[in-house]
Amino acid sequence: MELSAERRSVSQMPWLVLLATVLTAAVGIYNLASASRPPSAPMWSSQIAYFFVGAAVAAVVAWVDPKLLERLAIPIYLVNLGALVALKFFGHKAKGAESWFVLGPLRVQPAEFMKIGMLLMLAKYFQDDFRPQQPAYGFLRLIPPAVIALIPTGLVLVQPDLGTALMMAFTTMTVLLFARPTVAVWIVLGVLALAGVGVLWNDYVRTQATEPRFTVIRHKLKKHQDARITGWLDPTSDLKGSNYHAMQSKIAVGSGGVNGKGWMEGTQTGLRYLPEQHTDFIFSVFAEEQGYLKCVGLLVLYALLLLGALGVAATAKDRFGAFVAVGVAAMIFWQVFENIGMVTGLLPITGITLPLMSYGGSSMVSVLTGIGLLVNVSLKRQRSTL
Amino acid sequence: MIKLGQKSDAKDLRPRIIGVGVFFVVGLLVLSINLYRLMVVRYEEFNALSVDNQFKDVRLRAPRGLIRDRRGEVLVDARPSLDVFITPAFCQKCAAEVIPRLAEVLQWDEEQRARVEALVKAAHGPQRYQPLIASVDISREAFDQLLARQFLLPGVDLEPVPHRSYRAGPTLAHILGYMNEITQDELTRLNGSAERPPYALGDYIGRRGVERSFEHELRGTDGWVKHVVNARGEVMRDARGNVLRGGQSVSPAPGRNVVLSLDARLQAEAERAFPGTAGAVIAIETKTGFIRAIVSRPAFDPNEMTGRVSPKRLGQLNQDPLQPMVFRAGAEHYHPGSTFKLVTLLAALQAGTVTPSSQVGCNGGYTLGSRRWRCHNERGHGLVDAKRAVQVSCDTYFYRASDQLGIDPIATMGKAFGLGAITNLGVAAEVPGVMPDSAYHHKVTPGGYTKGMALNTAIGQGDVNVTPLQLAVLYSAIGNKGRVLQPQIVQRLESPDGKTLEAFSAKLVREIPMTDDQHRLLIDALISVVNEPGGTATRIRSNEYTIAGKTGTAQVARLGQVRLKKEQMDYFERDHAWFASFAPAEDPELTVVVLNEHGGHGGSDAAPTAAAVFAKYFELKKADSFALGEEWIPPRPPKPVLFAKPAAAPPEVSEPGLAGDVPPPPETTVQASPPAPGGGQ
Repeated sequence: MELSAERRSVSQMPWLVLLATVLTAAVGIYNLASASRPPSAPMWSSQIAYFFVGAAVAAVVAWVDPKLLERLAIPIYLVNLGALVALKFFGHKAKGAESWFVLGPLRVQPAEFMKIGMLLMLAKYFQDDFRPQQPAYGFLRLIPPAVIALIPTGLVLVQPDLGTALMMAFTTMTVLLFARPTVAVWIVLGVLALAGVGVLWNDYVRTQATEPRFTVIRHKLKKHQDARITGWLDPTSDLKGSNYHAMQSKIAVGSGGVNGKGWMEGTQTGLRYLPEQHTDFIFSVFAEEQGYLKCVGLLVLYALLLLGALGVAATAKDRFGAFVAVGVAAMIFWQVFENIGMVTGLLPITGITLPLMSYGGSSMVSVLTGIGLLVNVSLKRQRSTL
Repeated sequence: MIKLGQKSDAKDLRPRIIGVGVFFVVGLLVLSINLYRLMVVRYEEFNALSVDNQFKDVRLRAPRGLIRDRRGEVLVDARPSLDVFITPAFCQKCAAEVIPRLAEVLQWDEEQRARVEALVKAAHGPQRYQPLIASVDISREAFDQLLARQFLLPGVDLEPVPHRSYRAGPTLAHILGYMNEITQDELTRLNGSAERPPYALGDYIGRRGVERSFEHELRGTDGWVKHVVNARGEVMRDARGNVLRGGQSVSPAPGRNVVLSLDARLQAEAERAFPGTAGAVIAIETKTGFIRAIVSRPAFDPNEMTGRVSPKRLGQLNQDPLQPMVFRAGAEHYHPGSTFKLVTLLAALQAGTVTPSSQVGCNGGYTLGSRRWRCHNERGHGLVDAKRAVQVSCDTYFYRASDQLGIDPIATMGKAFGLGAITNLGVAAEVPGVMPDSAYHHKVTPGGYTKGMALNTAIGQGDVNVTPLQLAVLYSAIGNKGRVLQPQIVQRLESPDGKTLEAFSAKLVREIPMTDDQHRLLIDALISVVNEPGGTATRIRSNEYTIAGKTGTAQVARLGQVRLKKEQMDYFERDHAWFASFAPAEDPELTVVVLNEHGGHGGSDAAPTAAAVFAKYFELKKADSFALGEEWIPPRPPKPVLFAKPAAAPPEVSEPGLAGDVPPPPETTVQASPPAPGGGQ
C-alpha cells in the first residue's frame, strides 16, 4: 500500500513544470556565464549552488503534508510579515532601499519569501471561505484577501521596492479575479483602471495650456519616479540621464537581431553599458547574444511552465491547492511580464528579477519554493484520494 | 486526517483556469510581439546605436612637420617629453591626496597647484574621462619617483609625448616662434562645426614665427582609429594588453616640412660675429629677397616658451628692459642715420637739384634761417661732390640738397624703397616705421611742417624711423638698380619624405626708375665708403671682392618713459651703430645690414660683423661649389687703391638737426689701412 502510493505519486509529478524549470534554469546559468564573464566574478557557479539549495527547499516543500502546509499558512505569513517589519530596523541598505538582511556571508531578501507566504495565506482564505451556494465574491468578501495582500505589499513598497510591490499587487489581482468576483466588482475595477489611465494621460501626455500643469498625482511622486514614467512614455527624452538605462537596455535587446551576436559576444554586455546586467537586466544580455528566435524559445519555456502550473491547478482536488497553483503561476507570469516589459521599454523601469534567469539566491530559492508548492499540490491529489 | 466532508470541490474553477491560461499566453504573446518590433523591425537602428556605443574615436596625432634650413639641416623637430596627465573620473581623493603628492614630487608652487586643482574641478560630465595635462616635460628623476608611487596616484598617467625641440635654442627664436596650448576661443574658431575637429583641448598651436604662420602646413591632419571602449569610456585591451580596435581608421597625414632660405652655417657666423648686446643682423639675397641669416638679439629660448614657461618667467621676460621678446629685425624701428643719405641723394638726383659733379662747400655746418645745422666734422669737408659726400658722410651736402628739395620728394623716394610700410616678411610681426612727409608733420608735429624737418630727415634723423629689415630691402634695391623685392624666409614646403610640394620665388614689389648713371653713382659712392681712402668703413675692405656699404650712427631719442637704473642709463643713451652693405658691388649677391643697438659707431661696431658675414658667405659658396663639382668663379677683386695715412679723421655723421644744442657724438677715426678679411694687398 505504502509502496504503491509512492509509485503513484511519482507518476503524478508535474513533469512539464519540472522540465521547463530545469531547462530555464540551465539556460539561465549558461547566460549568466556570459553576463559575468571576466573581469567580473564568474557568478554562474554560485548560481548552480543556489539552484541546488532551491531544489532542496522545493523538495522539502513538495513532500510536506499538504494539510500541514495549509495549517502553517498563517504562521508563515506572520513570520514573513515580521521579517519585513524587522527589515525596517535591522535591514541593510543597498541602492537606496532596505531590502536585505545580512546573515554572515548571506544576504537574504525577505520580500522574495513574503510572496510565497502571501500566496499561501490567500489560498487558505479562499479555501476556508468557499460557499458553494454563493460562488461569486462581492466587495465585502474580497476585503479580507485584499487586506492580506495590502499589508505585505505596502511594507515592500515603502522599502522602497516598487517592482516587487507591483508584482505582488498584480499577482493578488490575478488571484482575486480568478476567485470569481461579482459583476459589480468587475465594473468597479474596470472603472478604476480607466481612471488610472486617465490620470496618467492627464499628468504626462496631455498638452496643457496652463503652467504649472494641473496634475493629479504627479506632483506627489519623487523625482526619480517621475523621471521613470516620463522616460517610459517618451523613450527619447533625457537619454544621458534618467533614461540612460532604459535606452541602453533597448539598444542591447534591439541589436540582438534575429540570431543574436553570439554567446559571450554581446558588446553592450561585455562593455558594461547595462546596469544590473546579472540581475534585473539579465534578459537584455540573453536577447543581445541569442537573438529573437531564442528569446521566443525562452518565452515558450515560460509558457510551458505556466501552463503546466495551471494544469496542476486544474487537477487540484481542493481550492487551497488550486489557488496555490494559480498564485504561483501568476507570480511567475507577472515577474516575467514586468521584467521583460521593463527591459524592452514596454513598462517603466522597476527593480524586478526574471525568474530562474536572474542571478541571486533569494530569487532562485523563492521561485523554486513556488515550484515545490506546485509539486506538492500535484501530489496531494493522489494522497487525498487514498 | 482528511475529513471528506470538508473537502472542497475545485472542479468549478477549471473554466477560469483556462481563462487565466489564455491571459498568460496573451501576455507572453504581447512580449514576443514587442520583442519582434525591437529585434527584427528596428534591428538596424539599434545595431547602429550599439556600434556607436562600443567604439570611441581616438585621435592619432599627425607628426608635426620639421623646419629645416636651405640645405636640409634640421632647425626644429620633436623630442619625447614626459608629461603628466590626470583623468578626473578616475582620480579618487584628487584634491585631498593625489594633487598634493604630485605637487611634492614635481615641486609645484602654490599657483601651479591651484591651477591643476581648478582644472580638475572644472571637468564635468563626459569631460571627466578626458585626460588633462597637469605638468609637461618633467625630469627623468621625477618620472621615476612618480612611477614608483603610481599606486598612490589613481587617475594619473605618465606618457611620453612628442614636444617641439628648437635645436639652436634662442638662435632664430623670433623667426621660428614657439608653441603653446590652444585657448578655448581659438578652439571654437578653428574647429567651427567640423565633424572631426582638427584641434582638441590641450593641443599645442604655433605662436609667433614660422610655427604660427605655417601652423596649417606644419600641423598635418590627425588620423582616427576606433577603439573599443566600455561604458566608462575606458579603452579595452585584449589578453595580451593590446588595445582593441575596430571599424575603419584614418591614418594621420604628417605635417609638411617648412624649408627656410636660411643657411644655418651663415646664421651661426652672424650670431658669432655680432658683438652687440642688442640689435639685428640680416643677410639677404640681393636679387631674390630670400633671407640667408637673420639675428635678432637678445632673444628668448623657444624650448622654454613651449609648454613649461611659468607665468613668473614670462613676466620676467616681458619686463626685461632689453625686451628679448621683441623681434628687433622687423618689429622695432630706429633712426637710420647716415644710411638714409642714399635715399636723399637719389631723390635729389632725380629732381635734378644736384648732379653727379655738382659740388657743395662744407664749412662744418649749414645755416637755415637763424639756425645752424652742424656737420659732424666741425672743421668741414671742404668742397664735396655727391660721391665724396657719401664716402665721408658729409651732412652739409645733404642739408643743402634737402633745403632745395623739401621733405616730400625725399619721403616719396623713401616710400618707393618700402619705408613707412611693413615689408610683408610674413612670418613675424613687423612695424611699418616712419617715413615723414609734410602732411605727416602737419598732422603730428605741433606747429606743422618746417624746412628744418627736411634737413633732419635728409640725414636719417628727425622723425624717420626704419627697421633693419626695411633697410636690407632698401640696400638690396640699390644694388639691384631699383628693383624692390619682398623679403622672404620660407623657400619651399616639402612633404615628410622630402619632396618639394611648393617652392616660393622672388616677389618684385616695385621698380624705382633710375638711370644707369644714377645707379653707377650710388654704387661707386658705396664702394668708396669701404674701399677708397677717406671712406668711413675702409677697415673692412676685402681684397677678394668688393663690398659696397654705408655706415650710420644714429642718435638715440631719449627714453623718457622707462625709469632706468643708473648703470643702465649710460647704455641706453648710447648711439645705434648701423652698417648697410652688399657684395660683390658690381653684381650683388648678398645684402647685409647690421644694427648694433646702443653699440656706438657704424664703422667700428657694425661694419666688422657684416665683413665677417660676407667672408663666410663667399667661403661657403666656394666650398659648396667644390662639393657640388661646379666651377668656382671667384668674385672680382676691388680696384687696387693706394691708402695714404689720412690727414684728418674722416668721421661720420650723427647730427640730430632738431636738437642742435646736443653735440654730435664723435665718430671714431676710421683706420686708413686695409685690414680686411683676406689679407692686405
